[in-house]
Amino acid sequence: MGTDTKQANLLQDDAAEEREKLDAIQAVIQTYRDKPGCLIAVLHLAQEIYGYLPLEVQRVIAEGMGETLSHVSGVVSFYSYFSTVPRARHAIKICLGTACYVRGGKRIVDRLEEELGISVGERTPDGKFSIIITRCLGACGLAPVVMIDEDVHQQVNPDKIEKILAKYQ
Amino acid sequence: MRIQSTADLAAIAKAYRDEQAGAKYHVTVCGGGACVSSGCIASRDAALQFIEENKLGDKVRLTFTGCMGMCSMGPLVYIEPEGVLYVKVTPDMARDILGRHVIVGEIPEEYTFLDEKTGRHIPLMKDVPFFSEQVKIALRNCGKVDYASLESAVANGGFEALARALSMERKAVVEEVKLSGLRGRGGGGFPTGLKWEAGYKAREGDKYIICNADEGDPGAFMDRSLIESDPFGLIEGMIIGAYAIGAQKGYVYIRAEYPIAVERLSVAIEKSREAGLLGENILGSGFNFDLEIRIGAGAFVCGEETALMHSVEGLRGEPTQKPPFPFESGLFGCPTIINNVETFANVPAILKEGGAWFASFGTEKSKGTKVFALAGDIRYSGLAEVPMGYTLGDLVYKIGGGVPRRGRFKAAQIGGPSGGCITRENLNTPLEYDALTALGAIMGSGGLVVMSEDTCMVDTARFFMDFIRDESCGKCVPCRIGTKRMLEILERITRGEGREEDLQLLNELAGNIKETAMCGLGQTAPNPVLSTLRFFMHEFEDHIREHRCEAGVCTNMFISPCQNACPAGINVPGYMALIQNGRFVDAYNLIRQENPFPGVCGRVCTHPCEDKCRRSSRDEALAICDLKRFVADYAMNHAESYVDDIKYPMNDKKVAVVGAGPSGLTCAYYLARLGYTVDVFESQSQAGGTLAYGIPEYRLPEDILQHEIKLIEQEGVHIHLNTEVGRNISFNYLRENYQAIYLTTGTQFPNEVGIPGEGLKGVYHGLPFLKDIRSGRRVKVGKRVVVIGGGSTAMDAARSCVRLGAEKVTVIYRREREDMPADRREIKEALEEGVELVTLASPMQVLGDDKGRVRGLECQRMELNDYDANGRPRPQRIRSSEYVIDCDMVIPAVSQHADFPFITAQDVELTAWGTLVTSKHNLMTSIEGVFAGGDLARGPDTAIAAIADGKKAASSIDLYLGGSGKLNKGRPIEIPPAVTDEDSAEYGRFPLEELAPETRTLGFREVNRGYRKLYAVAEATRCLRCDRR
Repeated sequence: MGTDTKQANLLQDDAAEEREKLDAIQAVIQTYRDKPGCLIAVLHLAQEIYGYLPLEVQRVIAEGMGETLSHVSGVVSFYSYFSTVPRARHAIKICLGTACYVRGGKRIVDRLEEELGISVGERTPDGKFSIIITRCLGACGLAPVVMIDEDVHQQVNPDKIEKILAKYQ
Repeated sequence: MRIQSTADLAAIAKAYRDEQAGAKYHVTVCGGGACVSSGCIASRDAALQFIEENKLGDKVRLTFTGCMGMCSMGPLVYIEPEGVLYVKVTPDMARDILGRHVIVGEIPEEYTFLDEKTGRHIPLMKDVPFFSEQVKIALRNCGKVDYASLESAVANGGFEALARALSMERKAVVEEVKLSGLRGRGGGGFPTGLKWEAGYKAREGDKYIICNADEGDPGAFMDRSLIESDPFGLIEGMIIGAYAIGAQKGYVYIRAEYPIAVERLSVAIEKSREAGLLGENILGSGFNFDLEIRIGAGAFVCGEETALMHSVEGLRGEPTQKPPFPFESGLFGCPTIINNVETFANVPAILKEGGAWFASFGTEKSKGTKVFALAGDIRYSGLAEVPMGYTLGDLVYKIGGGVPRRGRFKAAQIGGPSGGCITRENLNTPLEYDALTALGAIMGSGGLVVMSEDTCMVDTARFFMDFIRDESCGKCVPCRIGTKRMLEILERITRGEGREEDLQLLNELAGNIKETAMCGLGQTAPNPVLSTLRFFMHEFEDHIREHRCEAGVCTNMFISPCQNACPAGINVPGYMALIQNGRFVDAYNLIRQENPFPGVCGRVCTHPCEDKCRRSSRDEALAICDLKRFVADYAMNHAESYVDDIKYPMNDKKVAVVGAGPSGLTCAYYLARLGYTVDVFESQSQAGGTLAYGIPEYRLPEDILQHEIKLIEQEGVHIHLNTEVGRNISFNYLRENYQAIYLTTGTQFPNEVGIPGEGLKGVYHGLPFLKDIRSGRRVKVGKRVVVIGGGSTAMDAARSCVRLGAEKVTVIYRREREDMPADRREIKEALEEGVELVTLASPMQVLGDDKGRVRGLECQRMELNDYDANGRPRPQRIRSSEYVIDCDMVIPAVSQHADFPFITAQDVELTAWGTLVTSKHNLMTSIEGVFAGGDLARGPDTAIAAIADGKKAASSIDLYLGGSGKLNKGRPIEIPPAVTDEDSAEYGRFPLEELAPETRTLGFREVNRGYRKLYAVAEATRCLRCDRR
């Protein structure tokens, strides 16, 4: 009995959160719908609000912007920034631009895969970390570079990866 | 505050400058992206707090600026009026610096830039080569202005150029840009003036100007820094451009990976609007223009202009066919001009100082300056702006400080995934559009990634192709499928599955894709591959034919970097593991499978393995060489008479080896183990070659060498001493009676320096000098000796002189200490023993007295200038810098050459410097059945290289004589598996025992006493076991 109510409450909370997010997305659409060429900006903001861009959200955006779903889907699938699957709490973005690669970026990737037990593009089972290979972050002067959330870690030593990860809960 | 006239600009500038002038000290803190990630914000805040706490507000102004350029030294703090640059400033340092510099008035030099070569600090920024070599036009405001303040920008001359431009005819603005010779800085290099002219002439109506800030090239971060550091400069450049072409709306397309740049530019645009510099009737001219930012979403192809425009339109970023060109039909179908950030950054300077002024910089066809982003294996990475035509070598060495940690420059990748590499031989290349195209590279956006010998060029080609394949939009077949096929081939090669026909196929595919791909991305995609094929073909061939990755990157082809670097391929992690487990004799036997001279090599090897040891990135490389010596000595002292070995039955074939040096004896050893009858002919009375005659006993004791030679003889090798081929026995006799011959007589004859006076009494060449000492002849050494040279022979000669009673020994070398070929330890020990080292000096002539004896050596000082074909700075004599070193003995030790009377140039093919030409594949000379290796084929080289040649020759000879080519290495030794170390700690090398310098010079006792057992085991435990998979 107790757990049923708890479950029901959780579901209600989830639903409320979901509505909030979709409302926020609608607000974004309203701001941008009349300006030419703003679909990408809308998708960025929507992804920030919702966390990712599943088909349902794409549908909402398509309707709001007056585009077909296939058009919006085509744009989402083209750009690497947009994700149709949920992302982890902390995205570990490893730069494999030339300078970072030359300075041993690949070894950092291998080490992280070993440490977390997942491959590039995957999420840890507890949803905490995901490993993403990113394009050049423009911090080549301090290669190799790893970006976790908003923090840019520079001159990363693969042997000291654990210490860096320990900072993120 | 609204700016509506030049008078308004002047007023704002004056107000700002007056405000700043009120304080004596100006502190500028670098807030470039790199410094931000180095923690500059905390340092800045600490500085601000200190200023407040100590009530220094009227004495100090602090400006938080954009990128100063020297990213690897950040956080950077610059203090005027003195112009002092402080590097790597932590919050605590910031407080200390302000306390001492501002309050006390003294400059804490220990916080300033340290020149690693001289070991001295250079406090003033203008004296640091990284900065003094630059000419900043595009970067003029970066690191100077407060990027968030319009007033700061105006006070530094911002918008003056705009005012001037708006007072000119639009056509005149276009002409000024044409006059400047400015070419697109994004990579295309198309003349900007012509582009603007096309935009100006395009049909009237809606026009657009776009700034391409996508900067997708990995390794390029110039545009990012420009936007983050001088956003108002970019805005000004765009307004001028828009005015010239007649556009009313502009977009800045910034990639999503640059959030800081987006943020700072947004603020600047807002402020510009508020001030009336964007919007209607700009500066009262009647011209209307506004600017918007569009953010990318992670697609490299959107750096291509048609794809970019589609992305601005909110569509998929797929390129479209050109023509129509953007100036005809671009964004939303209207005439559009697209320029790169750096191009726009140059525009205000051009309009302010004039096109002719800009054209006074650079070369004939490449005017102005270029910003380069230095990254990769380089000491000082960051941004540097130099005039077009500045050489690559100067950029890498003078500004960049060269490759760190004694690495060697291998290539510089320029132009990103569309570009190519520039090699050591081309370091004198001027950096300008045409010179680079001639080399098969491109200027690109200016990203320059320096690669050292640890980079595999095949893997680099694969890396770029992987990137391009991933970023290919997929629209056209040549790019979508072509890049994938090229990538597959490259991946196979890096896995060790390369095939001979792959190289031709790569070339074919590359040609096809270049000609048929629809957009720039595809058309330039094959460039990195073509460039690496052109300059590094031997690496591709090694990967395919020899399954060898010299750089130690393609892990499928080797056990570990150390094993890969060893010419003999010794299983280093294997013997580390055995030592760890106390199995010293097993470790010795494991080494002996690949190298029959562990005791010798453990003392004199140049240990290329240690240079590649991964542990060095953590604390210090493993003492691999010393550990080899430990197990060899242990085995020698605990020798077991029975060794469980595999013996091959004798066959009926005979092989002759000429020369009982390390190469010859190794070859003989392996051939004997395969059952061949081997006769080694040695002209001297002792075996060992250079090991016996060229290395003093304090480095390699006699008994160690003799023990290992005896073990080789026990395999069944017959050594015939005092038998010179061509005198005691004829070469023809060998040809008739032996089925194969291995020649390895080395380079026994010293080279002359070639200066007057070399024949005087008291000039004793290095090699014969050492030989005479070892043969037991009485050698008289002068009181004051000068040794010429920088290799092991020079060091050995110098140290032997000290031991033989010379009062002063000086070594002169024409380059710098770090360029000396001798082992670092040898140089250190020599200096400890009192030897004087004079670098950058070259001998001119030996001066004699009236009896024809040496009385002095005249030398000239050298300086390093441009670069030779090996990528090393070339020493050049400084005129009128002669001076004389008083001495009574001169020992030249400047390399050796080979000489062998038993074959002439008519019989066998020789190289230009007298060594034998051999096939790289099997070491055969031009005579059938006659092989050669060691110094005789290579020129003076190391012992381990000679040993590796001996092994290879044995294998080739076996193959030649009908065998399988597989050597008999005995029973396999089981190696303990790697164990994950849960408690690993940072620890440098465990100490070795050495004789104290004072004791050493009393005689020729061995200096290095080797490892104690406890330390040896501890040292071996530091091994990271890079062989684990």
